[in-house]
Amino acid sequence: MSDKTRNKQDMTISHNEIKPGSMPPNASISRKLREFYDAVQEEGIPDRFLDLLEKLDEAERNTKSVKVK
Amino acid sequence: MTMTESDDRGFKRDLLASLPNLRAFAVSLTGRHDKADDLVQDTIMKAWANQTSFTAGTNMRAWLFTILRNEFYSQMRKRGREVQDTDGLFSERFSVHPEQYGRLDLQDFRKALDKLPDDQREAIILVGAAGFAYEEAATICGCAVGTIKSRVSRARSRLQELLGVSGEGDFGPDAGHAAITARAFGG
Repeated sequence: MSDKTRNKQDMTISHNEIKPGSMPPNASISRKLREFYDAVQEEGIPDRFLDLLEKLDEAERNTKSVKVK
Repeated sequence: MTMTESDDRGFKRDLLASLPNLRAFAVSLTGRHDKADDLVQDTIMKAWANQTSFTAGTNMRAWLFTILRNEFYSQMRKRGREVQDTDGLFSERFSVHPEQYGRLDLQDFRKALDKLPDDQREAIILVGAAGFAYEEAATICGCAVGTIKSRVSRARSRLQELLGVSGEGDFGPDAGHAAITARAFGG
């Protein structure tokens, strides 16, 4: 990749160490960041957390009913 | 202040609704699904035990992220930052669960993300992926808004450097774009 290409990019990007392959840098990075994050989010909620919340809920209900009595 | 039964149900419902996002944040912080899920579990227990300290109607997601973040750093401190060898950590992470990171280019991104300092990584994740405003991210991290802004900016620059160096030509649509650019400007 020639310096000419790089100079062209320097007009819009202040960091002169960016390689042309990563253009457009901010759009690409924001997109990849969200892709990575969304991939985890889309895995949904593991059963262990649903079970845990169910148990916590149950324990609380029991405690409350004991207190009332 | 006592919670009514309907507040109670609302708490659980909102907690559940926040879990996928919270878990993605945990994976971002720890770099591993197994550790992330332990962290989320600790966070759920803490949140549940402290639900009366949550003010109904305020931002539950920000509240949960704050708890998870505090838990993460307090556990790190307790372990005396057992892992300093980040390169070793990457190889361990990726040899254990490579399939969990999906596409290869996302794995590269994940590796680059892991090379960021903790404060920069959490800032760019909170603002760029988890959907928080700079002000909310600042509250979660307990620092000034300007600090968050500068961390996000430094994180972006560093990621550009890292991905530019290791990922040239591996960016799908961008690779084509680069080739066209190269031709157009006589590269």
